[in-house]
Amino acid sequence: MDKFLNRPLQTKIISVCVFANVIIFIVNIFLMLGINSLSNDMEMVYQDNRALNQLSEALDNVQDSMTVYLSAKTSDSLENYYISAQRFSDLSSELDDKVTDYSFNRIERNIKYMSQSYLEKVGQTIEAKRGRNVEKYRNYYETSTELYKDISLYITNLNLELFAINSESFIALLKAFRAFELVGVAVMTFVMIGNVIIVTSFVKAMIMPLRRLSDSADEVADGNFDVTLPVVTYNDEVGIVIGAFNKMVISIKEYIEKLKESMEKERYMQEKELMMETHLKDAQLKYLQAQINPHFLFNTLNAGAQLAMMEGADKTYEYVQTVADFFRYNVKSTNHTGNLREEVTLVDNYIQILNVRFSGDIGYDKQVDERLLDYKMPSMILQPIVENAVNHGIREMMGEGKILLKVYREDDDVCISVIDNGKGISDEIKEKILTGSLIHDENSYDNNGIAMDNVISRLRLFAGREDVIEIISEGENKGCEIKIRLPLEGNTECTE
Amino acid sequence: MSKLSEDLYKKRISRQYLILVITLIFVLATLVTGSLYFRFYKNDIVKQSEAKAYDKYFVMITGNYKSDFWQSIYKGALEVAKEANIYVDLLGANLSGDYSCEDLMKIAIASKVDGIIVYANESDTMTELINEAVDSGIPVVTLYGDSTHSERLSFVGIGGYSVGKMYGKQIIDIIKEKRREDFIESDNIDNRTSIKVAVLANADSQDAGQNIIISTMQDTIKDENVTDSEFEVSIVAVDNTNTFSIEESIRDIFLKEEVPDVIVCLNELNTVCTYQAVVDFNMVGEVNILGYYDSVDIVNAIDRGGVYATISIDTKQLGEYSISALLDYYETGNTSEYYLADVTLIDRDNVAEFIQGEDIDG
Repeated sequence: MDKFLNRPLQTKIISVCVFANVIIFIVNIFLMLGINSLSNDMEMVYQDNRALNQLSEALDNVQDSMTVYLSAKTSDSLENYYISAQRFSDLSSELDDKVTDYSFNRIERNIKYMSQSYLEKVGQTIEAKRGRNVEKYRNYYETSTELYKDISLYITNLNLELFAINSESFIALLKAFRAFELVGVAVMTFVMIGNVIIVTSFVKAMIMPLRRLSDSADEVADGNFDVTLPVVTYNDEVGIVIGAFNKMVISIKEYIEKLKESMEKERYMQEKELMMETHLKDAQLKYLQAQINPHFLFNTLNAGAQLAMMEGADKTYEYVQTVADFFRYNVKSTNHTGNLREEVTLVDNYIQILNVRFSGDIGYDKQVDERLLDYKMPSMILQPIVENAVNHGIREMMGEGKILLKVYREDDDVCISVIDNGKGISDEIKEKILTGSLIHDENSYDNNGIAMDNVISRLRLFAGREDVIEIISEGENKGCEIKIRLPLEGNTECTE
Repeated sequence: MSKLSEDLYKKRISRQYLILVITLIFVLATLVTGSLYFRFYKNDIVKQSEAKAYDKYFVMITGNYKSDFWQSIYKGALEVAKEANIYVDLLGANLSGDYSCEDLMKIAIASKVDGIIVYANESDTMTELINEAVDSGIPVVTLYGDSTHSERLSFVGIGGYSVGKMYGKQIIDIIKEKRREDFIESDNIDNRTSIKVAVLANADSQDAGQNIIISTMQDTIKDENVTDSEFEVSIVAVDNTNTFSIEESIRDIFLKEEVPDVIVCLNELNTVCTYQAVVDFNMVGEVNILGYYDSVDIVNAIDRGGVYATISIDTKQLGEYSISALLDYYETGNTSEYYLADVTLIDRDNVAEFIQGEDIDG
């Protein structure tokens, strides 16, 4: 079976068709044989009657030729007599001499023996005629004629009886014929149905792997490469196609895997860039929102400063000038990178403004390494940090609050520390600030509008590392230090 | 695709192959069954013509083979013969045309049968034919009618003597009854009328049996101290030369001036004809019929009083004897020359049991 199933598709289909046809052919042969045998039987039904007719004819011939010989004594008639007597004797000896319950058998037997007696008598008649024994041959003639009549009668009787019996068997055969027809049609029908089922099931069995293949192909087409690959059942064309398909799916899968990897890398790069841009945009947006006021304020303040100078109020002039400077920096710094000097100046101005507002309550100290002031860094970094320190750290302390700004070099890094002696920050909030999850209150008054998380994000992006900012607080009311660590390397405008 | 569907798929493929194999077997089975069924069916038809074959073939040649009497004998013979694996044919029964016993004898001889049972007579032709048959090696048994001068093997029949005696006794009974009636009716003893007895005898044959019956009958009556004046026996020859003459000649009797008081019939057909004539001429009671054989009609007639008495011949026994005579010959080369079957008288007294008996037989 397997050997056959491994043959090419063409061979298999042809074999199945041939097989179905052969079965039909065999059935037909059977039917034909049956019909043949039946019609043979039918032919033979009246065979007995025909044989009897021949016998009767032969008998007539014997009698006729004998009569002719007796009346004319021609040598032709004698020859005729011999021929016909021989024929009659042959025919009669073929008769059956069985005695059975059937009367025709017995009649047949009687005919056989009577024929023998008759031939004997006829022979004697002829002999007597030859010997010209008139008395004797006349006597024999009468006897044989009587026998002739009796035999004829018997033959007629037998004929009739056989005819009746044969008619019966003829009818029986006819019935058998009808029955055969019925059986034949039934067999044909069954075999045909069987054939249809055989062909159908075979084709189904052959097509099934193909269908399965198409199902798998469909699934692959829908993008699912994790299909169970169809098993190669037999090495026919379908098997080959399935094998090829399986290989293809596997190699496509591998290829996609590689592609995915390189895509992942590229995506990571793009994402980084995109993030930088987004945060800057965000900061700028914040500036722009704030800019409306600063420009107006800046001009107004300039006018105020000039007025104060003309009136000779020097302190007021200085204060208004500082405020104006503060806002000028804000307005000016559209460029995203500034340098450390500007940042420090901004913090100076901011503290000075606050001291005027809060009448010198904040103690401000600077420990700055001048060499590092040209260090390039994102603008608007330090001021928000200092603002946070003031707002959340020392606002409540009234005069005792102190802020220390330190710029120094540590190893290859530039370090900027804003140290206050205020409330300090709990570890929980520290964590929140660093991960950017502290909920930012947009409506809080009195800030520059730039939140800590923005600052941290920008610093991280700028430095390209995570540990760019550090919050050091030793606990409640023990102050806080915010330490920014920026790499010195690659910063071209650095003095060294 | 899961493992489940994989299994399903495999299952489906194997199911397809299973269907294929089953169908194949089914188709082959249908073919084989169809051809076998047909073969047996046809064999049945062909088998019909096969039958038991017998060793020997005897023929029985009788007069009127259609009568109950001969049919009954034939049946008895056939029964015994079949036991010995012999078939007996009632020759002439299936021949169209009218054949005399002599014609049938010729056919039987020509057919070289194994034995002939013939209803013979004393004619020369019959004797010659029997001799011819015996010469050609066929044993012949005469049945019911004998051919005493021939070389027949044996005779199977009924004792004419005992039948004659029975008839005689019945006639005496009738005479005695008549005497009594006369005694009552008339004072004058001289006025007594004599009883006329007519015996219907076949005209054509020199049947010895028939003569024995008649003479025994006469002797019996005489022995019973009956004077000649009291009875008169006449033999009426019935013309049996052609088929319908019997009936006519019997009717002739009734058309004469003096109708006999007692009519003795010596065969079945005569009895039936006479009875019918008596009924037709409205002479039941006046004419007493002594019948022959116990066919249903005759027994019924006794029951109704139309027939005075009849004799019952054990026909079956006749048949049996004829076969055993032939069988004895084949076994021992010899057999007894005479076989006589039992004869019983049936009159009104015992007719009931014969009717019953027939019912049971029938």
